[in-house]
Amino acid sequence: MSKRFHVVSRLAVRNLRRNLRRSVLTSLAMIIGGTLLMMSLPLGDGTHEAWIESAVRMGGGHVTIQSPEFRSSRKIDDRLPADVRVASRTALSRAGIAERVLIATPQLTLGGLASSAAGARPAQIVGVDPASEARFTILDEKVTEGRYLEPEDRLAAYVGAGLVESLELKVGSRFVVTTQDAEGEIAGQLLRVVGVFRSGVPEIDESLIHIPLETAGEWLHSGDDVTNIAILVRQSGQVEGLRRDLGRELAGPIEVGAATVMGWREAMPALDAAVRIDDFGNYLFQGILFTIIGLGIVNTVLMSVLHRYREFGVLQALGLTPSQTGTLVLIEGLILTALSGVVGIALGLFITFYFWGDGLDISGMWDEEWSFSGVVMEPVIVPYFRVARVIQALAFMFAIGVLASLYPAYRATRIDVAEAMKFER
Amino acid sequence: MTEEDVPAVRTGEVWKVFEQEAEEVKAVQGVSIKIERGEFTALAGPSGSGKTTLLNLIGGLTRPTRGRVWVAGHDLTEMSNIQLARLRLEQVGFVFQAYNLLPVLTAMENAEFPLLLQGVEDAERHERVKELFERTGLSGLEDRRPGKLSGGQQQRVAVVRAVVARPALVLADEPTANLDSRSSEALLDMMLELNRELGTTFVFATHDARVMERSRRLVSLVDGSIVADESRES
Repeated sequence: MSKRFHVVSRLAVRNLRRNLRRSVLTSLAMIIGGTLLMMSLPLGDGTHEAWIESAVRMGGGHVTIQSPEFRSSRKIDDRLPADVRVASRTALSRAGIAERVLIATPQLTLGGLASSAAGARPAQIVGVDPASEARFTILDEKVTEGRYLEPEDRLAAYVGAGLVESLELKVGSRFVVTTQDAEGEIAGQLLRVVGVFRSGVPEIDESLIHIPLETAGEWLHSGDDVTNIAILVRQSGQVEGLRRDLGRELAGPIEVGAATVMGWREAMPALDAAVRIDDFGNYLFQGILFTIIGLGIVNTVLMSVLHRYREFGVLQALGLTPSQTGTLVLIEGLILTALSGVVGIALGLFITFYFWGDGLDISGMWDEEWSFSGVVMEPVIVPYFRVARVIQALAFMFAIGVLASLYPAYRATRIDVAEAMKFER
Repeated sequence: MTEEDVPAVRTGEVWKVFEQEAEEVKAVQGVSIKIERGEFTALAGPSGSGKTTLLNLIGGLTRPTRGRVWVAGHDLTEMSNIQLARLRLEQVGFVFQAYNLLPVLTAMENAEFPLLLQGVEDAERHERVKELFERTGLSGLEDRRPGKLSGGQQQRVAVVRAVVARPALVLADEPTANLDSRSSEALLDMMLELNRELGTTFVFATHDARVMERSRRLVSLVDGSIVADESRES
């Protein structure tokens, strides 16, 4: 059996070499397709990674632990109970989990009002631990004036540029924030602006204020309570696993409704939808591209079968079974697509990482900053490499080869041997 | 009954009817024939007499509309396509009018193709082909592709391919039709020699007088029926 397969494979290779020009032209289509595929996948993944990175570092992290009601209420009443915080800290330091966590930082996130002599604006006030938050957030890098919060700061605020402008503030100015405290009373707090940032996302720049967690605790009588623990993972692929493992560790509080563990997809459904829609668009484009290429291969392989109608008849007269004749055609198609697919993928990877390893600058395509769903669109796309994508691309091209060769192979199995002998080329 | 007693070919009231533009064409009409092992038989007749169709029926390349065909005792009408392919590989060799060598293989590779499919080891394969190449004057042409061989040389390679696996039967459809008289004579001499020395049964479909003269049995067909069957000394 293996000897026969060897004979059939040898014939397939020889047949491909016999029509070298046709084989090369078909391969070129596959190589171009493979190259485009392998250029678009890392760039697409790189874009999504940048979106996710930007969103999670300006929000609640890749994974967040919070009270189930907090997501919709955003109220101080729905903060994490002390025992859940302790359990969370224990879980996060446990072997098997700790290695995957880059940083975990407590946050007290509340809606409130910011006011100055110039007026009042709705604000999102986040009490943070300045030391750990500085490692978590990217907002400290977006500073336009002053500085980010420091551990010694008291009554200090790091404020979005939009809010600073509308309240006519500057570094050193004082303003008042007001919200409901832990006892249900409306409480105000005077703060001083120590730094101003511009994230590029209007809804963040016009409302977000970071203040020290200690200041928030004293102001709102909430001690060291927090509403959520924001966690960053070392690799984006670890999110789902970590969410599941933390869920298992905190099964008790989760069961009684005291806590929930959410991944960024659940916490930021708009971003999740954007990534999925963008992926769908990419897959659709690749699907159309490869349908066209696939039809070209069907045509080439089918023409080759029809051209060799008599030859297939001879092969069957000599003792090849119909299925072995079909296998011969299938192998020809697979060799053609597999080889050109590998070359195309290698070429795509080479171009992507040799020329755009440090990022593909597309700033010429738009003049101003663009954002959506709390995400800043970076004008430089850094390709993101995943082995899984290479395997996926190879499998995809292999599948195209199989699909494109199936019908011609089927035709080869249906040959009427006696009729094929009469066939004149 | 020993294997030697089983005829190489036997047909029983075999019919082949083709549908052509809603019309029935009776290519073979109730032919019953027995060909013993070692015979050198020619099926003769004008174009359209059913020679090639009868040859295709005997070779299992087409299935009869009615009747039965046995090759080396195997009933072809009961066999699946896979079994027929296996039978052709082990029991039947073909020589075609248009040679039909595989253009991507060398003369040697073409000749050894049935042995390759049978999984015969390299050394034995090469030895058997080399011996036949020497006997048929093809030595030195082993590495040539069919396009680099003359018609006579190609047909000789085709004959070697047909007999190399030592089949019970070789079916040759107008093997000399594309050859000049010298090449035809040489080819027939070669096939007669193989018939005598190896005991291979040869059945020809032909209207070449030279083939008919040399065959030891001449079966004449007209309109798909046998009209004469004469044994003769070659």
